[in-house]
Amino acid sequence: MRKRAAPGVWILLAALLGQMALFSTIAQNFLSTSNFVEVLRFSVELGLLAVALTPVIITGGIDLSVGSMMGLAAVVFGAAWRDWNLPFPVAACMALLSGIAGGGLNAFLISKLQLPPLIVTLGSFWMFRGIAEGITHAAVNYTDFPKSFLALGQGYLANVIPAQVPVFFLIFAAYVVLLHRSTVGRTWYAIGSNPAGARYAGIPVARRLGLAYLLSGLTSSIAAIIYVAHLGQARSDAGTGYELDAITAVVLGGTSIFGGRGNLWGTLLGLFALSILQNGLHLAALPSELSGVLTGILLVSVISLEKWLPRRGIHRLDQPEEVQVKNSQVAVLCAAVLVSALIVAGTNVWLVRSVGRSPEEKTAPAVATAHRPVIAVMPKAKGDPYFVSARAGAEDAARELGVDLIWDGPTNLEAAKQNELVENWITRRVDAIAVAVENKAGISTVLRKARDRGIHVLTWDADAEPDAREFFANQATSEAIANTLTDEAARLLGGKGDFAIITGALTAANQNEWIAFIKRRLDKYPNLKLATIRPSDDDRDKAFAETQTILKAYPSVKLIMAISAPAVPGSGEAVRQARRKDVNVIGLSLPSICKPYVHDGTVQTVVLWSTHDLGYLTVYGSAMLVENKIPTVAKSIQAGRLGKLEVRDGEIILGPPLIINKANIDQFDF
Amino acid sequence: MTYIRTHREEVSIAAALIVLASVLAIAAPGYFARENLSDLLLGNIPVLVIALGMTLVIVAGQIDISVGSNFAICSVAAGFLAKAGLPLPAAALGACVIGGGLGAVNGALVGYLGIPSIVVTLASMVALRDALRWQTQGAWVQDLPINFQWFGFSQSSYPTVVILTTTFLVVFFAWGMRKLAAGRAVYATGSHPEGARLAGIDTSLVVFCVFLVAGLLTGFAAVLNSVRFNQIPSNGGLGLEMKVIAGVVVGGAAITGGVGTIAGSVLGVVLLGAIGPALTFLGVSAYWERAIQGGIILAAVINYARSTAGNR
Repeated sequence: MRKRAAPGVWILLAALLGQMALFSTIAQNFLSTSNFVEVLRFSVELGLLAVALTPVIITGGIDLSVGSMMGLAAVVFGAAWRDWNLPFPVAACMALLSGIAGGGLNAFLISKLQLPPLIVTLGSFWMFRGIAEGITHAAVNYTDFPKSFLALGQGYLANVIPAQVPVFFLIFAAYVVLLHRSTVGRTWYAIGSNPAGARYAGIPVARRLGLAYLLSGLTSSIAAIIYVAHLGQARSDAGTGYELDAITAVVLGGTSIFGGRGNLWGTLLGLFALSILQNGLHLAALPSELSGVLTGILLVSVISLEKWLPRRGIHRLDQPEEVQVKNSQVAVLCAAVLVSALIVAGTNVWLVRSVGRSPEEKTAPAVATAHRPVIAVMPKAKGDPYFVSARAGAEDAARELGVDLIWDGPTNLEAAKQNELVENWITRRVDAIAVAVENKAGISTVLRKARDRGIHVLTWDADAEPDAREFFANQATSEAIANTLTDEAARLLGGKGDFAIITGALTAANQNEWIAFIKRRLDKYPNLKLATIRPSDDDRDKAFAETQTILKAYPSVKLIMAISAPAVPGSGEAVRQARRKDVNVIGLSLPSICKPYVHDGTVQTVVLWSTHDLGYLTVYGSAMLVENKIPTVAKSIQAGRLGKLEVRDGEIILGPPLIINKANIDQFDF
Repeated sequence: MTYIRTHREEVSIAAALIVLASVLAIAAPGYFARENLSDLLLGNIPVLVIALGMTLVIVAGQIDISVGSNFAICSVAAGFLAKAGLPLPAAALGACVIGGGLGAVNGALVGYLGIPSIVVTLASMVALRDALRWQTQGAWVQDLPINFQWFGFSQSSYPTVVILTTTFLVVFFAWGMRKLAAGRAVYATGSHPEGARLAGIDTSLVVFCVFLVAGLLTGFAAVLNSVRFNQIPSNGGLGLEMKVIAGVVVGGAAITGGVGTIAGSVLGVVLLGAIGPALTFLGVSAYWERAIQGGIILAAVINYARSTAGNR
């Protein structure tokens, strides 16, 4: 039986080609084999989820739990290998079993109890991630996997093809056979088109529906194992937010969210459209936020175009085709979408170029002698006020030294995105890369690769493994931060009393390290007691609500230690509104957002370093590395306006943490 | 029949609330202190207000997952408008208009272009959030006018004003959904769109309007939330859509449309809002909270399925 491809596929193909044409002109080294190979590597985990979701959506359902399932399976895998000392094949089987169990739970609730898939998987979306966090206390990070295992995610076959790509295509092929070449696949389409009709036709609807969800759980756990091998770490936050990207890829690929229509080839195209968009934006040094905006526009325009076209494939009898559109109109619409995308991207390129470069460079960009060093600096998360203020210092240094600065990073704290960006920067051949590391084990591999390609590597804010970088711009050690905070707490409480910690996300590595050091420092103060640790998810309003609850649930708590930048004003406001003058608030935050609370005496102490100076040092140090001005044996460097800074064990030390209080807060402008 | 079914659902949530309350009464009586209850109420009112709009959207057979991003944009907008020297009511109105406008865009795409609501709002959720990040570069809105906090009221009188306003909204929507022709049209559109259309209901307009109302209420909720503070972060409302949808669904609204009540949604939001702090009071570690919340949603849904099984 032959079907013509849905018109949506052609629109998407056109959009994809348009993207590629655009990026090959504006992005450096976009059209190269090595770049496409890396795009493939980064698409595998997302691709597996998208492939698994395709049959689910074709049956008219949805599975929101795939990303959380990845987190759970990753943790199970890590625990089985390290804590229970099982060999890798057995650990992998345990992870797959957890996938089957999770998928089976969804399958049972949806097919046997006939509950709506959206609700069931919304529940399991929380539950799977919650169990993963519960098992690991959100802090355990399984790392140090042996090279032989990591090869699955980081190695190459025949020196060209990333090892996980064949795995992906194998599973993809299996799904193609199952969905497009088997009776099971046909029944999925039948169920999606008309569930009641399918039942009357004698199809075991419940069993077939269940199979789709079971397979989706299983495939998610395979994706989890590849993810662990890829990043070299298994943590409960694996795959956060992947479900939305995967659904976007499926829907972009022309699969109807109402079921009954769609195919895997479309999903593959949708996946590439997403990955290439992100990759191209990175290579063109355009801000990451654009990818969200453009993805949204792409999604809506492709779907509405598809809606306007006459359907030649399967169509539902109850939806008569109302609109017949002529080919010329289609062409106009396609052109409109492409042109608008071009305008958005084009104006931004123009803006970035005109801001970033002086006119003479435009005339001779390729001449090696006129080459301005390009320094790429990555914060942990772009929207975080802490990193926003570091950027100002980085830009100062770039101006002073006459280097080009690329400032980009994940829009949320996501480990995999950092790796992807570094890979893209390697492809773009920047001169130096400076990373504020979110995930030590994972990023070190790509940083080593960057060094092999002759790119200078610096870390800042948080370090990678020592051999993966040349220097670490160290603002203050975790121990110094923890000790300063604990000592301040002891001073304010007179060495005696209860206090509570408000952290960022429970999974945040930095904060967990500080908490560990704080607990160690408490040995010095036997009468100081840590009553509870609550998360704020780096959300001011959540920190506010959590503090309100702590104040009442733990009346003995006399001090709140908030160790995430937005949490300090949140806790301060809660204490102020509760009029609890007996409760102190201290923490790690930016002076600018804490100012009102420090002035009125709600917040006593903010511990931090100058974020401006840290950004400045990062770019200054990178530029010195590019010009080979830092000998490996250096004991100190002259870092521009910062003066002489100590260098110790490969770390450039910015200085001790600042203690900011009412007396000096007005001196700081960050 | 529908009435009994939804009624049963409300009773079972109320029962769950009573169980929770009795456990707390024994294990942590401090939970019922006046200040705690009023703080909890005040903190959950934004969720509650958005849940009213979400109930309409879900009853109409649609879904809106962009409310969290919309909330963030409206919060920042309210701050900028107030900073620009507009009087507070005008700034609040401006935020509501922006929220309504973004809701209307969703509504037009879903109602008139016929694109599935999950796709439209998925796209707007991502696009709006990233656009805001791009524009603000993560900077907070600071140096707000001095009377911005508490909307010109005092800290002690503000809760009364807000609780009265919210009660009015809840009563109005509960009444409107049952008694107004427009409310009945929402149910009709959600239960059977084609039938509703044949019965003379402009289903496209209904769908457009529920998104518009959801947007307006999101803007209003953003104002209610922002005025509790003296600065506005640019990344507010993260994960808010999940909280709201969970509350509405636990409250008995059927995601397939046509079933659900305002009273149920209010109970659902109250139950979910009460559980988080209750776990803190009971000394449950934060690490298990999400697993417990997910379990409660699943339990509520299973309970719902069992109570309706006889009617199928």
